[in-house]
Amino acid sequence: MTPLCNRRQFLALTALLLGPAARALATDDTASAPLLLSAASTRDDQHFLIGFRHDGSSFHEVFKLPLPERGHHVAVNQTRGFFVSIARRPGTTLVLADSASGELISEIRAPADRHFYGHGVFSADGEWFYTTENAFDDEGDTSGRLVAWKVDGSGRNVSLTRTFDWPSGGVGPHELLLMPDGNTLAIANGGIRTHPSHDRDILNLDTMQPSLAYIDRSTGALLEQQLLPAEFHQSSIRHIDVNASGTVVFGMQFEGEAFMTVPLVATHKRGESLQLLLAPAELQPQLNQYVGAIRFAADGRHFAASCPRGNQFTVWDSSTGTLVHALRARDNCGVIASANGFVYSTGMGKVAELDLASGVVTEFDGAEQLALLWDNHLCSGAVA
Amino acid sequence: MQMRMIIDSRLPPMTRSPMLQAQNTDWTPLNLAMTDAVVIPAYDRFAAATTPLASNAAGFCAAVDDTSLGALQQDFIAAYDGWQGVQHIQFGPITYFNWNFRLQFWPDDKGTGARQLDALLAAGDPAALTAGTFAQQSVGVQGFPALERLLFSDDSLAALKNEPYRCQVVQAIAHNLDDIAHGVAQRWRDDFRATVEKADERGFFESSQDATIDYLKAVIESVRRIQQQKVEAVLGDSQATARERRAEAWHMDRSVQHLRTNVAAFATLFNDSTPALNTVLVPADLPDIQQAFAKLQQDLAATPDSMNTAVKSAEGYAALKQVDADLDALFELLEAAVKKTDLYLGFNSLDGD
Repeated sequence: MTPLCNRRQFLALTALLLGPAARALATDDTASAPLLLSAASTRDDQHFLIGFRHDGSSFHEVFKLPLPERGHHVAVNQTRGFFVSIARRPGTTLVLADSASGELISEIRAPADRHFYGHGVFSADGEWFYTTENAFDDEGDTSGRLVAWKVDGSGRNVSLTRTFDWPSGGVGPHELLLMPDGNTLAIANGGIRTHPSHDRDILNLDTMQPSLAYIDRSTGALLEQQLLPAEFHQSSIRHIDVNASGTVVFGMQFEGEAFMTVPLVATHKRGESLQLLLAPAELQPQLNQYVGAIRFAADGRHFAASCPRGNQFTVWDSSTGTLVHALRARDNCGVIASANGFVYSTGMGKVAELDLASGVVTEFDGAEQLALLWDNHLCSGAVA
Repeated sequence: MQMRMIIDSRLPPMTRSPMLQAQNTDWTPLNLAMTDAVVIPAYDRFAAATTPLASNAAGFCAAVDDTSLGALQQDFIAAYDGWQGVQHIQFGPITYFNWNFRLQFWPDDKGTGARQLDALLAAGDPAALTAGTFAQQSVGVQGFPALERLLFSDDSLAALKNEPYRCQVVQAIAHNLDDIAHGVAQRWRDDFRATVEKADERGFFESSQDATIDYLKAVIESVRRIQQQKVEAVLGDSQATARERRAEAWHMDRSVQHLRTNVAAFATLFNDSTPALNTVLVPADLPDIQQAFAKLQQDLAATPDSMNTAVKSAEGYAALKQVDADLDALFELLEAAVKKTDLYLGFNSLDGD
């Protein structure tokens, strides 16, 4: 049976000058396709962590784990076969579950004076887990925290123990990642101060100062810190990715005046200055000053930045610093590299793949029927 | 909370849910009907109203007096009313080139527009006012709020008489408003209408339904927006903390008239095409919604014309509180009605991470 696919060509702003991308072999056996993980909600406010696979044209749900509160990002432990779903800001739960089956292992709550920011990352050897947190009663510049958890046990007995608690190199730390050296953590510090008693209100709008921080995960030492130019101090640095050669890309959410034209994506290499990038003039305002998620493609050169408020899915070339594609996709946010390009998810229920080489978008059959509101981040469930 | 887990529930790819059926409906006739019967005519009316403002402003500075200022103020009122009739449409060409902000940068709680206008006046540079350059000036000097301040301040007559540059700024803004109004109307007619018509997988919109959602948001989100920005911001927590200067158009005290125009425009977009936007909702929900519209319009008609005065009296403040309650009720009904359909207005876009 031929699945009914919805294919679209997208609007290219410049010619796509890529060599042929590596292609996955077409297969009907989705069991061998990569497992993808995403938080999702229903229209009546129930929250889940969904594991699914796709075969390039159809969506197949693998598991659906109820969550106590809205999720955000999911981090997978490569060596012990479990994942952690981290609650969206200002949530306080970590939900641990089996990577393959989605079976609940345990739930961990943050200490009373902390909340999470929705992101966490494991060391490559699976021994350590790192979360970004808000020490919300700390009124100084050290309220942004990086916490290192020791991982012990395995299977249903796996445990995480808070071991180190360091400054994150800025206020309002958000996404973090492990650099290719395996020892340096890069942290997107959004610069925004919040307190649970004020819900999600921004308390320091006029003085906020985002930063990109590099921290030694063995010692907590701040190795390098990059700040934005003063005129962009309200561009909250929220999401980051890195390629194999250590180029970091980050996406921002601007908290200043609605009419301002500000860069929403940037690249950085250790020891160099930030490269702030702008879309072409007619498109930049349409991005609505907000990037929801950002990921490099498998080629390590192109990256995607989702713009859910602008309903645009954008693709950029990091080697030229230019935008190469913009695709209209209402409420798109989650994005992950795939063998052919990118898979993205939307708050309208769609999950689709953009093939970078051909420019074709394939919306996966079987996704929209679930009427799920796919949440901000799409994550890999693959284990080594 | 008991945790349940569903393992490996694979749905057959050919299952058709109501959502997918709605997705496969062609909403284009509806979208074009709204475009042709409501949206383009409203933008045409707006452009028609800015033309006399621009042309009368052109000759104004040669003879500034009570009468000519009064006449220009009337032209301004008509042009601003024209804008109020389309202010709720926040997709399409109005978003190009920051046109929406250049027409009206408001709310402006930090007084950015006033600062930018003062700076422009202080610099007194004629080169800043030429047709090509003026469009590049700060957003806050280009639109209705700046021109309102120039025409409706207590000292406007004297200032415009005695300061030629100030008067030239009036001309530049009037001309700019006219340019933008005509630009938007033309883009809708010549370009965006075709985009709406071609709203399928080959076009800008993902589907015809994707376009319909933008029209629906123009009504529903605008109800909430005017409630929060135009009413609640003024009302404050109590009459003692009411702030009339947070009202839109407080200089000329036409905030209530603007609200009446806004609500009439929402109702028009909702009802006045064939087919009508209201047909996307379950029919059983419509009587309550129409009643809520009617009550809101009734209570707005009964509200004192002057918001500046209304907030200072118990009766006037109560009338505005009633309007606030009516807007809330209308929004809740619309939101509840949309939830019963397969249309969804947004998730990631509404609240971030």
